[in-house]
Amino acid sequence: MQLAERPVIWKRESSRGRIKEEHTMGTTKEQAGIAGLRVLDFTGELGPYAAKMYLGFGAEVIHLEPMGGDPLRRIGPFYRGKAGTERSLPFLYYNAGKRGLALDLHQQQGRAIFRQLVARSELLLESCAPGYLGELALDHPRLAAINPRLVHTSITPFGHTGPYRNLPGSDLTCSAMAGFLYLAGVENEPPVRPCDNQSYRMAEAYAAVGSSIALFHAQRTGEGQFVDVACIEAVGMALENSAQYWDLEGSLRRGGGREAGNGTIHPTRDGYVVLVAIIGRNRNMWKRFLQWLEAEQVPERELLAGDQWLEPAYRSSSQSYQTFCRIFERFSSSQDKLSLYERAQAAMVALSPVSTGKDLLENPQLKARKFWQTLDHPELGGAVVYPGPPYELGRIPWTLGGRAPGYGEHSREILEELGYSEQEISRLARKEVIHVG
Amino acid sequence: MSVKNKASQEERGTKGALKGIVVCDFSWVGAGPITTNILGQCGATVIKIESSRRPDLLRRGGPFKDGIAEGLERSGYFANRNPGKQSIALNMSDPKAREVAVRLIKKSDIVINNFRVGQMEKWDLGWEAVSRINPRIIYVTMSLQGTSGPHSRYMGFGVNLNGLCGLTATAGQPGETPFGTGTNYTDHVMVPGHTIFAIMAALLQREATGRGQAVAVSQLEAALAMKPSDAMAWAAGAGALEAMGAGDPQAAPHGVFTTLGYRRWLALAVRSQTQWQQLKKIMAQPAWAEEERFSTLALRKQHEQELNQHLEEWTSHQYGDTLADQLQEQGIPAAPVNDARDAIADPQLRARGFWHYLDHPVMGTTLYNRAPLCFSKTPVQMTRAAPLLGEHTQQVLQEMLDYSEEEIRRLADQGVLS
Repeated sequence: MQLAERPVIWKRESSRGRIKEEHTMGTTKEQAGIAGLRVLDFTGELGPYAAKMYLGFGAEVIHLEPMGGDPLRRIGPFYRGKAGTERSLPFLYYNAGKRGLALDLHQQQGRAIFRQLVARSELLLESCAPGYLGELALDHPRLAAINPRLVHTSITPFGHTGPYRNLPGSDLTCSAMAGFLYLAGVENEPPVRPCDNQSYRMAEAYAAVGSSIALFHAQRTGEGQFVDVACIEAVGMALENSAQYWDLEGSLRRGGGREAGNGTIHPTRDGYVVLVAIIGRNRNMWKRFLQWLEAEQVPERELLAGDQWLEPAYRSSSQSYQTFCRIFERFSSSQDKLSLYERAQAAMVALSPVSTGKDLLENPQLKARKFWQTLDHPELGGAVVYPGPPYELGRIPWTLGGRAPGYGEHSREILEELGYSEQEISRLARKEVIHVG
Repeated sequence: MSVKNKASQEERGTKGALKGIVVCDFSWVGAGPITTNILGQCGATVIKIESSRRPDLLRRGGPFKDGIAEGLERSGYFANRNPGKQSIALNMSDPKAREVAVRLIKKSDIVINNFRVGQMEKWDLGWEAVSRINPRIIYVTMSLQGTSGPHSRYMGFGVNLNGLCGLTATAGQPGETPFGTGTNYTDHVMVPGHTIFAIMAALLQREATGRGQAVAVSQLEAALAMKPSDAMAWAAGAGALEAMGAGDPQAAPHGVFTTLGYRRWLALAVRSQTQWQQLKKIMAQPAWAEEERFSTLALRKQHEQELNQHLEEWTSHQYGDTLADQLQEQGIPAAPVNDARDAIADPQLRARGFWHYLDHPVMGTTLYNRAPLCFSKTPVQMTRAAPLLGEHTQQVLQEMLDYSEEEIRRLADQGVLS
């Protein structure tokens, strides 16, 4: 595959001491692929994980913030539980390793800087409301005129087309609209929501994926494109089989968790565990489970021995569920979850702890794999612990990167790279076109 | 035969971004088939290896067309994860099957499996062996918790992983037994999302270097990357993340509120003081809403239970969809808590062509969803339904792997292609 020629743009020493070599896709083979990319990340509460995925594989990411700062800086939890724009743990996590530029796009000079950055980037990830960039004359057709190879990926609650495109969105309402939230409950119970705004995270994962596929196309053909990723569609990937239950059987399912032994949650002395002792009519699974109860000398275990327990319909009745819980929980509630986990797994029973944050930090597997990573934060007077790599590749190292940028931390450095003089930068700062942190 | 002809015609017409990429797909059930489904929709040719002796377990998972759970060709659970793939029946427990797999691997760009660690090695198709067969191959494994460490051989399903990764503990009513998402959530986006991205990173690098590589996804670690807060908060001295129903630590009112109808709720997320003022107007400024104790976010959080009770009194005798329209018009994020039927009929998802109906020889025309990716130049393709088990065996062996009809007949007689 012949690679299109690209100019050498710049060589620099980053503020965190990491020396980047010339960025030319294909000149240095080890830097080829994502490690040779420049990514412009103009996202806030929605969007930042997509660019983080690129940064993990060595891409150079500039995180653009509006004047006044990224709204994510105001979202907790906060370091030591104390609110502050440099203390938001989600901001620190999603933006770790990025360089920060605070820029006012409502001023003509701010837009000029934006266009210069677009000209030298392979990927723009943004989560502006549909139409916002158009009002600033920075919409995709105009950006493509500057950089025809540009992959421009938009992440929004509802997407750029369709009747809801201009409606206000939030994590909860996107989850609700797409039919995902409804599943998080049984019978008449109102649904519940897990942590970390999952409808945003789903859209970000797919934005990273869609961008990478578009970059592959751009690398082969020289043709960039616009990729429209909507939270409600990303959430639509997580409906399991519920849409097909309606389409094929005319039934509306809710959440699992009330069929005895199939994904049921049970108390332990120190929390909860989740148990999959059987799926469908899997006799072998159930047999292993009964053997484990035997080994543990669980009282009344013989009540679970009959073949009727192999029938999902039988296990789904509330009486069976209650019997199952009575027997299993009398046992489980006197045990610690980690010990129960290790004993069940040794007996080939799919039981897992319902982990808390503390459990995860102490998890023996994650410890052995050195999953958690720590960065010093002198500005916070301590260290922050971060999740590590989600995958291991044979030829592409993964990096957490350095700490997230302070507000406007790299504005000066980035403008210098664009060729602005000291005086020009000071003038732009005075006019509040940029914030220099 | 007409089905096969039609399929190969459509194959030739593919214009997706991944046109020409071939996936040798050993994966089954959840996260693996979802991964290859997306690659296929983006233009890759996905060859799904199955066997009637060991079919994809989801072929036996409900729902089934008209509720009839007979055979292996009626499952909508299976179908939605496998549209457009080509299925070859290959009995890998027969040593002669390996040669067919090897020929396919030589023609492939990606080999993917989500078996437990060691299964591919039993067939002498581990990373070492496969990379010798084809040095350009991207070899994908999806272990539950990584290939090293004391729990690397532990077993579990998506719902186990939800619990293990910490999602379940945060999804419940305050002070009650946690519930979770009600699904095998980690399988659906967290794991396939990371897997596809890693595959693409390897493909992008290969364009320049010509070399393939191993891609190892730990399902647990991929999930953790998308839910950092609980562990980070604990380590940073910010305490434990509590389950809050459908609440939010920094918004009020925020949650689900009963409306008219059977299992009907309104999801409402008031995230600013402006939105609170708007909400009060829409409620016609009731006296309770003007009370001091509801005047700021901090106070509303402090009196959230009373706040929610007042709101539910207001919502419970109204239609959720009408109310949501009214609120959204005034800039307040609101939505009915849609069930699957509502989501299929949702005007936005429909207008964007998210749902597709594809024709299947046994199931007829049934519902699928496309990848959540709208490309301006290389749109995703949804043209063929899920394959019958072994539907493309003859075609793939003959056209792609250069087996003669005679050789195919012999392999079939020996039970290799079953």
